[in-house]
Amino acid sequence: MGDESMERDSGGSFAAWAGRIAELATQVERLLPLARELGLPEPADADWHGALFGKLRPQVDREPLLVAAVCGGTNTGKSLITNTLVGTEISDSVPEAARTVHPVASLPRGLAGRVDLAAVFPGFEPAAWTSERDPLDTSRGDILVWREDATGIQPARLVILDTPDIDGTLRENWRRAELVRNAADVILAVLTQQKYNDAAVREFFAAAAAAGKTVIVIFNMLDWPRQRERLAGWLATFAAETGVAATAVYAAPHDADAAAAGRILLVPVPELTPDGTALPLEERLSRGDFDMIKRRAMTGALRVVLDPRSGLPAWTAAIGGRAAEWKASLRVLEEKGSVQVELPPAPREIVWQEIWDWLEPRRSALDLTVSRVYRTAGAGLAWAAQRIGLARSAEEKQEDFAAVELAALKQALGDFISRLEDACRRDERLERLLGSRLATADRARWYADLERRHAALPLVSDAYRSFVRGELDRFASENPTLVRAIVNSLNVGAVARPVVSLALLGAGAAAVPAAAGTAGGLSVLVHHIGDYALWAAAPLMGEGAIGLAVAGVRPLIERLFAGWSVERGRILIDTLHDVVLGDGVEEVVRLAAAAERPELERVRQLLDACSREIDA
Amino acid sequence: MNGAERATERPDGDAAGPDFASFDMLVDGMGRWVHSFADWPPARQVAAEWEAIAGRLDRTRRELSRVLVVGVVGGTGTGKSTLVNALAGAEVTTAGDVVRPTTINPVVVASADVDLSWLPVAEMQARVVRSGSPAVANIILVDCPDPDTQADVTADRDDPRPSATNRNRDLLEKVLPACDVLLLVSTAQKYRSWIVAREIAAFAPGRPLLFVQTHASRDPDIRADWRQELERQGFAVPQIFRLDAVEAAARAATGLEPDPGFRDLVAAIDTELVGRAARRVRRTGALDLADWFMQQARRLLEPYREPGRGLVAGIAHERTRLEGLLAKGVAERLRAGRTAWQRLVADEVIDRWQGGPFATFLHVVSAVGSLWRRLRPGGGLVGRLLAGQPVDVAAGRGGWQAVEELGLAAAEVEQSRSVLGGMAAQAAIREPLVGRARLDPGRLPQQVSAVVDRSGNWLAAGIERLVAARRTRLGGRFAHLFFELLFSSLLVFVLVRAGWSFFYGHLWQGTSPGSSVGFLQESLVWIVLWGLLLRWIVNVLIRVGLDRDITALVAEIPRAGLVDPLLADFTDAADDVQRYLAEADTLGRDASRLAAATADSGLGRLRRVEG
Repeated sequence: MGDESMERDSGGSFAAWAGRIAELATQVERLLPLARELGLPEPADADWHGALFGKLRPQVDREPLLVAAVCGGTNTGKSLITNTLVGTEISDSVPEAARTVHPVASLPRGLAGRVDLAAVFPGFEPAAWTSERDPLDTSRGDILVWREDATGIQPARLVILDTPDIDGTLRENWRRAELVRNAADVILAVLTQQKYNDAAVREFFAAAAAAGKTVIVIFNMLDWPRQRERLAGWLATFAAETGVAATAVYAAPHDADAAAAGRILLVPVPELTPDGTALPLEERLSRGDFDMIKRRAMTGALRVVLDPRSGLPAWTAAIGGRAAEWKASLRVLEEKGSVQVELPPAPREIVWQEIWDWLEPRRSALDLTVSRVYRTAGAGLAWAAQRIGLARSAEEKQEDFAAVELAALKQALGDFISRLEDACRRDERLERLLGSRLATADRARWYADLERRHAALPLVSDAYRSFVRGELDRFASENPTLVRAIVNSLNVGAVARPVVSLALLGAGAAAVPAAAGTAGGLSVLVHHIGDYALWAAAPLMGEGAIGLAVAGVRPLIERLFAGWSVERGRILIDTLHDVVLGDGVEEVVRLAAAAERPELERVRQLLDACSREIDA
Repeated sequence: MNGAERATERPDGDAAGPDFASFDMLVDGMGRWVHSFADWPPARQVAAEWEAIAGRLDRTRRELSRVLVVGVVGGTGTGKSTLVNALAGAEVTTAGDVVRPTTINPVVVASADVDLSWLPVAEMQARVVRSGSPAVANIILVDCPDPDTQADVTADRDDPRPSATNRNRDLLEKVLPACDVLLLVSTAQKYRSWIVAREIAAFAPGRPLLFVQTHASRDPDIRADWRQELERQGFAVPQIFRLDAVEAAARAATGLEPDPGFRDLVAAIDTELVGRAARRVRRTGALDLADWFMQQARRLLEPYREPGRGLVAGIAHERTRLEGLLAKGVAERLRAGRTAWQRLVADEVIDRWQGGPFATFLHVVSAVGSLWRRLRPGGGLVGRLLAGQPVDVAAGRGGWQAVEELGLAAAEVEQSRSVLGGMAAQAAIREPLVGRARLDPGRLPQQVSAVVDRSGNWLAAGIERLVAARRTRLGGRFAHLFFELLFSSLLVFVLVRAGWSFFYGHLWQGTSPGSSVGFLQESLVWIVLWGLLLRWIVNVLIRVGLDRDITALVAEIPRAGLVDPLLADFTDAADDVQRYLAEADTLGRDASRLAAATADSGLGRLRRVEG
């Protein structure tokens, strides 16, 4: 779609862009929280953001108003010039600097009823004008004071605004002025001999020039006519610095009496005006080619958005870049965020008891009898051993086990915290996300939580019991002959059982049962615990006294032991997840996957489509 | 306001001596303080900031008597150069409205006889102009570049804009360090400029100021509003001069009397900046700088105060927790060693009871018992102590085992260390100030030895006390006599009975003596049984109240500092932080007291650090 088709849209309406702009804005808004989490600077200050949300979206499918804003540094006479332009004292002009803190708009008659000002000037709450002191009222927030032109002289589609300063000590004023600038089509740049080349002033107007706005320069407080010859030099500097090609230049001689009376003389400077005419400013404003100005401003805004270096494409690329950095952080976390838990060996009788219970109905009568005899004899032996202090009772053993296990888990928690701190030290992104959680928390609470969970976990939980049953059932259905082998070997091995009973002290683990998997990044940790358990258990395995020489059975038994250990280790993981890290780990995973967000792809497509259109 | 009102010369000459002594002490103290805790990051930050001002403070002390350097600063177009020309009485620097910025390279104006060899003119990229004007006869005036035309963000290399090469602010930052006093020039358009305010705030600490509104013939009088703005930024503003430099230069050229504003400024320069006043200005500036630095440093340290206190409290809490665990473990082990206690006290008592049949009996029993004891040595430190063995510090080399024997699990110590590690991190205390949760394997043997040593000696002393108390209760002559009598009564009875049988029954009545040998054997059994019963009674007496005494003993553990070596790194770091912060407070108070004691003059000062 080229210029002709835009012409066809008649009256400078940009309705044809409306769909794409609206979707682009929506997709970008969805990405904003993500960008914030990724640590990108707030885009609210970026020019593309102002162009998209301050200009394109509010104005693309609305009645084409022409917004003219009077902008400049502190105490350069913006309010006085505005008052002169609208023909009445709309904004109080005072000797002190930086007093206008709210923009004030003079609307053509009848506009307030037709147009939603809040939508046209996003970021402001419209407030009807009550007096010329309104724009100076520091007690109010972001308001935009408006008043309809009582005289009816103001052209039907022209809105004239006075704005706060752009270089004073109140940064809030700068922000408000920038919001108005973004919405404007015409900028009336008020310059003085002191303030045509200040860095802050240059920066403000350079952004206006880049966004294709029409700029009319007004040199104020001139020593007239002495300084008339200076104007060309000043304007050239200003143009070179900001890229502004002024469509007209006016001069306002310094005249304290006229200023005190609220009037100012605006002298056209035809020698610096490209069309060479000496049209009074009011006339130039009302007679201008509104559609052309509007089209330039809208196209300019779109170009700002599309700018590959400073526009939206750069922002989306930055999101991708940050996501890649987060992927690197995730790798650090995976590498560092594992811990070796030296869990004490599972009391074998606990796991074996579950296996016996399952085997009970499948064993021969002979085996059962032998087993029962040995169990009784074993119990007697154990009782005797306890009496003379050589052995501990079952309860004492469980207490001992629980104490050792809790100590191991606590040590593991401490190690975990140390390793996470190391990871945070190595990676500043992790530091930002997890560092504060590690540093500001009450760690005693973490340990208390671990103790609570440990105390609440029975030695054999229902979950573990059903896990064992499930594993054994599955194994039995898959290997009917092997089950017979277990039963047979138990029969054969029954004679050797007293030895087995005494040897039941080690733990075994080989594989991580499916039941142990957790959601999110923490599953990684469970795997590590499983892996470690495998390593620790390897030397202990293969005692094989029970006749588990049958190779196929061993993995099963190992898995059952592993499942038990993993369940114990889980409470540490739960503490880490629920109390220590919160959803921090999931957060890292999510941010690392940010580059795959569909919104990003959609934004790119829309940007491509807009580029093609604007270049066509 | 009218700037003509000048305070008369203050009698500061007398006060100069002692003031300088305390100033020297303050600066020396600050210099020591900033480097006193190099391992703590906030302290390192303070030390880094100190580097930026240390040279200035030192110079103030060395160059008390040289003339003051007055930097004329302000936004572009405010008339700095015009004012400098007016003061110099000639066009020494380019002024005007042709281009902005006008002044690129600074201009140093000084009278012909002033030695400038110490001024880093080359580094300032300045041009020196000699002037015979009385206004600059006893000061050095520097026309500075503006701070507000250089772009905030450094422009791209291929940026075609002329300002891409503007480095006025960078240059200003090179010039201002040489200045003692700032003469801030502003206009109605510039007095609320954010960039100018930012730059002045950066250089105002320790530099007294003169404030001047120029363009007086055209602009309204904004001094009241400017004063408000300056006060908001933390300045004390005794006066603001208002003048028109263009007019002043014109009047001077035509030989007319200067207008009051300009005359006041010249007079103020003369009274406030020249001669003895110069010393005062320099001293005031130095004190203000020291005060400002301490305010800044304390503000920087403020966020660490609460965490620092929290760490101290946390250490106390964790120490109590560990001591509680240790007390529980020790008590358990002391109670478990009940038989060992008995033996220990009994052995002591027997040692006292020399002579007598019961004592002899007890010695024999004890000798047999010690054989059994040798077969089963007591476990752990407590067991060994109860078995009468000395504290073996070398046992600590074995690692945690030695501490766990006392009932303190490694995991509990590591839990405490981890908890404290979190608290320490909040106070920015990290390695190497404190160790990790896991004790460093390299230092572990020493720490464990220290714990074993302390605990062992403390326990040995405690056990010794308990034993001594019981020994005195039972070891006395009366108790001995009592038991000897009880034991002897059976012995006497047996002897009498045997004598009776022999003399009366055998010799007198002629019964067979064979049964009397049987009787003696029988009696021996009874005597042994009687002796063992008495020994049991002694043991019961020893045992009575033992539980209570053990409880009382372990209750003293919190005061014994037994676990301190395990948390020593945290304790040391927390103490160091507290000391460092307390010293900051002392120095800060001293600095503000000295700064407040300096007399207020007609010069402005930055009195408080902006938030």
